[in-house]
Amino acid sequence: MEIVYVYTKKRLEFGRQCNFSDRPAELHVDLAPDDKLVHDFIEKDPCDSGIQCAQEMSEHEVNTERFESESRGVNHVEGGWPKDVNAQEVEQTIRYRKKVEKDEMYVNTILQLGSVMEHCIRQNNAIDIYEEYFNDTTQESAEEPSSAKTINVFRDPNEIKRTATHLSWYPDGAKKLAVAYSNLEFQRSSPDTSLDSYIWDVENPNKPEMTLKPVSPLVCLEYNPKDSHILMGGCYNGQIAYWDTRKGSQPVELSLVEHSHRDPVYKVIWLQSKTGTECFTASTDGQVLWWDTRKLGEPTEKLILDPTKKMNIDNALGAISLEYEPTMPTKFMVGTEQGSVVNCNRKAKTPADKIVALYTGHHGPIYALQRNPFFPKNFLTVGDWTARIWSEDIRESSIMWTKYHTSYLTDGCWSPVRPAVFFTTKMDGTLDVWDYLFKQKEPTLSLQVCDEALHSVRVQDNGRWLACGSHSGTTTLLELSDGLCVMPRNEKVLVTAMFERETKREKILESRHREMRLKERSKSEQGGGGGEDAEREKEGDEEEEDLVARAEKEFYEAIEAEKKDRAAKEAKRNEALKKENELQGEVIMEEDGEEKLNGHPEKDGGTPDNATE
Amino acid sequence: MNPQTAFVVDEVSNIIKESVEGAIGGNAYQHNKVNQWTSNVVEQCLNQLTKLNKPFKYIVTCVIMQKNGAGLHTASSCFWDNTTDGSCTVRWENKTMYCIVSVFGLAI
Repeated sequence: MEIVYVYTKKRLEFGRQCNFSDRPAELHVDLAPDDKLVHDFIEKDPCDSGIQCAQEMSEHEVNTERFESESRGVNHVEGGWPKDVNAQEVEQTIRYRKKVEKDEMYVNTILQLGSVMEHCIRQNNAIDIYEEYFNDTTQESAEEPSSAKTINVFRDPNEIKRTATHLSWYPDGAKKLAVAYSNLEFQRSSPDTSLDSYIWDVENPNKPEMTLKPVSPLVCLEYNPKDSHILMGGCYNGQIAYWDTRKGSQPVELSLVEHSHRDPVYKVIWLQSKTGTECFTASTDGQVLWWDTRKLGEPTEKLILDPTKKMNIDNALGAISLEYEPTMPTKFMVGTEQGSVVNCNRKAKTPADKIVALYTGHHGPIYALQRNPFFPKNFLTVGDWTARIWSEDIRESSIMWTKYHTSYLTDGCWSPVRPAVFFTTKMDGTLDVWDYLFKQKEPTLSLQVCDEALHSVRVQDNGRWLACGSHSGTTTLLELSDGLCVMPRNEKVLVTAMFERETKREKILESRHREMRLKERSKSEQGGGGGEDAEREKEGDEEEEDLVARAEKEFYEAIEAEKKDRAAKEAKRNEALKKENELQGEVIMEEDGEEKLNGHPEKDGGTPDNATE
Repeated sequence: MNPQTAFVVDEVSNIIKESVEGAIGGNAYQHNKVNQWTSNVVEQCLNQLTKLNKPFKYIVTCVIMQKNGAGLHTASSCFWDNTTDGSCTVRWENKTMYCIVSVFGLAI
């Protein structure tokens, strides 16, 4: 059966009947262009408009689930011992412990608890998101050429410029730099010259962080390595003063003039001591004085640098540089104006014995003297036109030296991080960086820091930052490239080998020189041979049969003998010639005399040829 | 035709003129105000038209053009019931601009 359902809806309810037709297009507006109206407008030229070149960025924030970590602690007090065991008695507790540890229950319990405990410990292991994974890989930066860039320049803020005579780095990080300013030209400084020295913040070259106001300009200034608030300064008039930066610009205490140096204090060094209050100073008046800041009234100790060991101040050498190595607290070295280095031992019995050795080699004052931070047996001196490296054992000559430069060297120091690197400054305003493993003839890097003479240089302990002071008080802060302050892997070994080789060479040369001198002496004295011969034999034994040296010696002796032989022959021939000449001369004279006697006035003198005719 | 339910062009034209006068009035052309004016004109027109209480759908457009000498031509065509529906375009102008408003009324 078909199911049909009929819907009925009236036409009326469908709504109005659609009876659409097209309406033709109709123009609404028709405005013709009007040239006249354009004249009311002015073209804008140029026209400013902004354009944003930056990429459009969006910022979203997502709140990740927080990882809560918590620290907990348990204070464990020893206890739980049975009554018959005294916890204070070590033996009893050990015995009891052993007994318990053998117990089977104990072992099982520990094994069970172990896993539970481990689980607890492993929980809450927060991850260190700042962990560096590649920290210990060494950089291979040998290829890139070494360089240095200027970071900051600190100028003497005063009208009348003075020399930056000494620099000292802040001991706790490279934050500050103390600079001593004074005019070292004798009696040239005008009375208006400022006396102040300054402490600079390395990041602010506009204004010194602190001013130090001494009574006389500071020639040297040194931070106390144990207390970064304390500074010790040596004045131009010979006095010593110390500052506490917490107590202001005026010195805390000053040494008395009558007990101080009589010349400018060129160097002050803090001593390694328990109190950290001791230091010693050197001056060109020939004295080295020890001080304690707790009692600056007079020096605690005194040494006169008399090389004849008679403690006569008239013979004293003027000290201009000092060296002190905290690992060898009784030893120190002094560089003198006369060009020699004096090696001293503070703890000798008599004052005269304090002078241990003298090293001569420079032609002028030794402006810098420093032991190699890695090999304290070897030290660097800077003076005249050269820098020299010495070995403590060789007194005759330095083991290595630079060529003679065209301008004077003024200061120098070792790199604290690389044993083969040192820095020298010159009068022509250049800073030389030497890498003695890489190049010996020339500096690895020569940098024109300024147009006037540099006077002082100092490296920060990180070996990367270096400050140098100039004649007119400009202190330049330089940063060295990685190659100069990262030690290559085998550098220490190589430098050891180099120093040893050079020391050996000098030793051989020295012994040869000694031998030659002795020979000469014995030759000149000839007759009185007996004792001398014995002495020579002894000397020979001491030489430890160095075959090479001996062979060399013999060779040179042969050459020397040959030379002498020739010289003797030459001399003989010369003498013979001379005699002949003299004879001839006599003849001429005689003839001349005759002629004059015979009366030939027109032939007065003339050439010998004429005369003989 | 019943005027109560027809699209009376004169009536609409008056409404347009009034709303343009009300929205723009004596203002000179200002670039940053044009948006406001156009929407004001359109809205006022629609308000007035709906107040007529006629069974119409309305389409209102408004064009404002600065008088700078450029030409402007607009046209429209429609497919509708010619007997009931209608359109009205008013061109209004002052010294600095043209305002062209079109209203299309479509009977329900």
